[in-house]
Amino acid sequence: MWRSLTNPLKEGPILRARWTVILCLLGALALGLTACGSDDDGGGGGGGGGTAAGETLTIYSSLPLQGTSKEQSEAVINGERLALKQSGNKVGRFKIKYVSLDDSTAQNPGTADEGQTAQNARKAVQDKSTIFYLGEFNSGGTKVSLPILNKAGIPQISPSNTAVGLTTDEAGADPGEPQKYYPAKTRTYARVVPKDTIQGAALATTMKEDGCKSVHIFNDKTTYGAGLARNVSTSAKEQGIKVAGNDGTDKNSPNYRSLAAKIKADCFVGSGVTGENYVQVFKDVGAANPDIKLYGPDGVAEKAFTNPKKGGIPAELAKRTKITVATLGLEEFKKRGNAEAERFFRDFEATYNESNPDPYAIYGYETMALALDTLKAVGDKANDRKAVVEQLVGNTKGRNSVLGTYDIDENGDTTLTDYGLYTINEAGEPEFQKVIKAQEG
Amino acid sequence: MLPAAVALTALVIFPVFRDPLDSFLGDSILALAFVVMALGLNIVVGFAGLLDLGYVAFYAFGALATGWWASDFFTGVNGERGIHIGASEFASSLPGVHLNFLLILVGAVIITAIAGAIIGLPTLRLRGDYIAIVTLAFGEIIGRIAQNGDELTLIGDYKFSNGRQSISPIDQINLPLIGEFDQATNLRPYFWMGLALVLVVLFVNFRLRDSRMGRAWIALREDEVAAASMGVPLVKTKLMAYAVGAGFGGISGAFLGAFLNSVNANQFQFGFSIFILAMVILGGLGSIWGVVIGAVLLSFVNTRFLTQLDQGIGNDVLNALGLDFTFNEVKFGVFGFILVLVMVLRPEGLLPERRRKLELTEGVGTGGESVYEARA
Amino acid sequence: MRGAAAVWEFVSKYGLIALLIAFPAYFAITDLSNGEGLTRIGNNLVAGLSNGSIWALVALGYTLVYGIIELINFAHGEVFMIGSFVAFALYGTLGLTLATGPLGLAVGLFVALILSMLASGTLNVMIERVAYRPLRNAPKLAPLITAVGVSFILQNVGILWLGSSQKAIPDLIGAQRVLVDVAGVTISRADVLAVGVTVPLVFLLTAFVSRSRLGKAMRATAQDPEAARLMGINVDTTISLTFLLGGLLAGAAGLINALYQTNVWYFQGFTAGLIAFTAAVMGGIGNLRGAVLGGLIIGVIQQISDNRIGNQWTPAVVFAYLVLIMVFRPQGLIGEETREAG
Repeated sequence: MWRSLTNPLKEGPILRARWTVILCLLGALALGLTACGSDDDGGGGGGGGGTAAGETLTIYSSLPLQGTSKEQSEAVINGERLALKQSGNKVGRFKIKYVSLDDSTAQNPGTADEGQTAQNARKAVQDKSTIFYLGEFNSGGTKVSLPILNKAGIPQISPSNTAVGLTTDEAGADPGEPQKYYPAKTRTYARVVPKDTIQGAALATTMKEDGCKSVHIFNDKTTYGAGLARNVSTSAKEQGIKVAGNDGTDKNSPNYRSLAAKIKADCFVGSGVTGENYVQVFKDVGAANPDIKLYGPDGVAEKAFTNPKKGGIPAELAKRTKITVATLGLEEFKKRGNAEAERFFRDFEATYNESNPDPYAIYGYETMALALDTLKAVGDKANDRKAVVEQLVGNTKGRNSVLGTYDIDENGDTTLTDYGLYTINEAGEPEFQKVIKAQEG
Repeated sequence: MLPAAVALTALVIFPVFRDPLDSFLGDSILALAFVVMALGLNIVVGFAGLLDLGYVAFYAFGALATGWWASDFFTGVNGERGIHIGASEFASSLPGVHLNFLLILVGAVIITAIAGAIIGLPTLRLRGDYIAIVTLAFGEIIGRIAQNGDELTLIGDYKFSNGRQSISPIDQINLPLIGEFDQATNLRPYFWMGLALVLVVLFVNFRLRDSRMGRAWIALREDEVAAASMGVPLVKTKLMAYAVGAGFGGISGAFLGAFLNSVNANQFQFGFSIFILAMVILGGLGSIWGVVIGAVLLSFVNTRFLTQLDQGIGNDVLNALGLDFTFNEVKFGVFGFILVLVMVLRPEGLLPERRRKLELTEGVGTGGESVYEARA
Repeated sequence: MRGAAAVWEFVSKYGLIALLIAFPAYFAITDLSNGEGLTRIGNNLVAGLSNGSIWALVALGYTLVYGIIELINFAHGEVFMIGSFVAFALYGTLGLTLATGPLGLAVGLFVALILSMLASGTLNVMIERVAYRPLRNAPKLAPLITAVGVSFILQNVGILWLGSSQKAIPDLIGAQRVLVDVAGVTISRADVLAVGVTVPLVFLLTAFVSRSRLGKAMRATAQDPEAARLMGINVDTTISLTFLLGGLLAGAAGLINALYQTNVWYFQGFTAGLIAFTAAVMGGIGNLRGAVLGGLIIGVIQQISDNRIGNQWTPAVVFAYLVLIMVFRPQGLIGEETREAG
């Protein structure tokens, strides 16, 4: 009854006009945007041309270029570009093309956006000339890209992932990890930084040496921060340090004054990255507890954290802060006769006019160097992903690098366990103190 | 009917002409998911006139439903053997709960519709922008619960969510007769699935708009007091709007959870609600086709247009203007600029609802007496 | 029926008061029963009130604009953020460093206060001209989207200006240094600064709105723009003036925020905007005293929650409180006087 009443109201001519509009839009979608869209196919498969991909190989980098992680990402990219430049953009008979992708979006800046990360990984899969994928920056992002790349057999190296579960099922991993990230059942992923079990032990060892009785941990709730906090907590207990608390922080919080006021421990670990507001966290913890000792992980090992001129913690607080990073200082490298590292520091300064690069720049450099050297090692088979993967995960042994001499084990983990202990110097730069001999639990 | 048939055919066969892993195809799938979201929000804001700033809550619940029921998140259930109903062969070998995607859709709709009605309850006494803030509050509360879900153990040691550490990977969609999708090798099935969801939701939307309930919503939007005195049951009508709108959000959320292969509470933020609301208003509040266009447009502007400018001529233009930053750095601002520009040029939206177009040419003061009335 | 209504009225009146007191009271009693004394809750309250003063200033801008054109000005938070950025930039221009003496600092900061207020005020007026005035007769939700658009643009300006991560800035006034210590409850310099700048500004604003000619014009426009126009009030100018006032307060809040938090970030405005909007609604949107009250209450809830429940839950606690208040009093805490602005 009432339905028949509404029918006369239905817009006849207007409806038709709308259909025309929609048809036009669809036309644009089918034709116009097809044209727009095709140029990014051309960047890849078009040039290489399937199995005939002889001359050019493509290395993709996928990092968050928007939001809070931008500075670290740029350090990584600078390192990667430097290593590539030194190779003359080629390996053997192959020319190397470098494509930098952004895995963050305007809606989700500062970290790997799931949708965008998957797109980046698929872009690499779609491109027949892809030979390496360097990324993601965030362990949470790698959880998305790794399964896609693994299925396609594309070798992947991360410059910064430390989450335990990406490679092993050791303490700190979730159930089902790491197998669930490797649908092809073969390992295609490697990383140049040690996993968090080692950093957790390094932090605990340092605190033990400094005479800490109890520790309060704040974590940023990300895959990185929360995972590391678990490892710090385990290692601290093993070494007889009482864990007084482990609190999550919200990066949008204007300050942490009242949160810091509840700390009763004599040591504090801020398990987070600078971009999660960890400068403010350290400042407020330091102000509320004038005698507390402060410890930070590699997530804050950058000038944006250490240098007050670049928005880092004030000098007074810097004196009380120690940072652990998986790379050692130039002096230490010299002592060990690491010519690679010396060359890196020299070249980086010559190229970017920066004498003390962020640790992420070194990771970036090593990521690219490892990729290029792996390609070099397989020689003529450098366009064969399978051969490259076997070389990367199975055959990287005794590699002399800017980070020291290491292997990549069968899980894709680096065998480096040397953590450097850094303090912050007068100039607001992380300054290498000594090597921590971590007592892994 | 002919143009419709041609358009539909064009849409259906379009993926065949693209590479199976084409990024444009991927962006189109996201756009389809956003169309479903925007159509859902349009019911609440466009039809019933209840400004909802917390729509992200339903995305969260929909995505979490996929996370709970299509992954190894509940590893311990059934003595680590897992529960499998209609799952693919591979998923059947994993621990945790693994349900067929169609079951998850049903579950997601039920959860979100209930959540929508519950969120609607406290707003019943409110009018105007007070509704907006209460829905916003719920959106934030639910986003927070999802973000801190890794600290919430409900029954046994089962957590509520994985927080910002994401539940991943998620089972790929597995349909009866068609089989399992695989977003690592072929995106086309996801496109068709998304398109099917859009068509279903569109159909429901048109039917609802022309139904008794639809007319009740519009009556409510036009004049609440008059509608009530004409016998429109306010409570039921409002709660239905919230529940139906939420249900669509749940469908889209569940689909996105499977497509993105990950459920990360990072995404459940206020900005998402605003993004969807912008699609609805920019397209044309209350106009179904307008909203579709708004959603497709903003989604593509975000995923496609801005990126292309960065890789294409955008940077040359910036350099020519003597500006020393890349297009990538101003993406965010350009997105904002586009919003402002479109709204200033077409304040009623790109394709305004006819009924609205007629009524929306009033002066400043008449727009919202709502706050006044709230005190009466 | 009348009985039921009376009961409901009783519940809404006293339930609300109970609700507001319950949160601090609960923790005060727990502390006492644990033999801890009232120091901890005292410190929570002090931190809460000073943080709340900043929210109050931002919330006033929301409420002023809402009162007059019924627009949720989503870009207001960004105006506050730009205020902070300008203040920080002025540190450099005026040569304010940690080594500056007290007199120089006082003069310099006063200049910085005036300039950042002017910058934010001007910006807010410009936003109104470009993004809201063309939409004066458009559907009610259209300016909401332009507001979001402007907010994105300003955030991008912030990113280009100072980068995308939080920047710690020089702690010029020694923000956390204790001035007064009453039995363990400490009042720091930042607390005194925040309250000390906010209170006079709020009084000035209320006086302006209720006494001055322009203030009367604002109230008339808020009541009925058409009638106001007929009575010879220039509605456009009045609206611009409202945005100017809102912007001035946001600029002042920006400077206090920079000194108080010693931290600036392009996203700070978004968060602050959300909280301030909540504060304005909680107090009864359109009502000046309500906005201040809402800001203070939220400040206190936040700090207690940070300290007792957990920083990561704080936004959820704040919004849960808001929902409860809305259930008891749909018009906000002091809602009756809506639109009379003062």
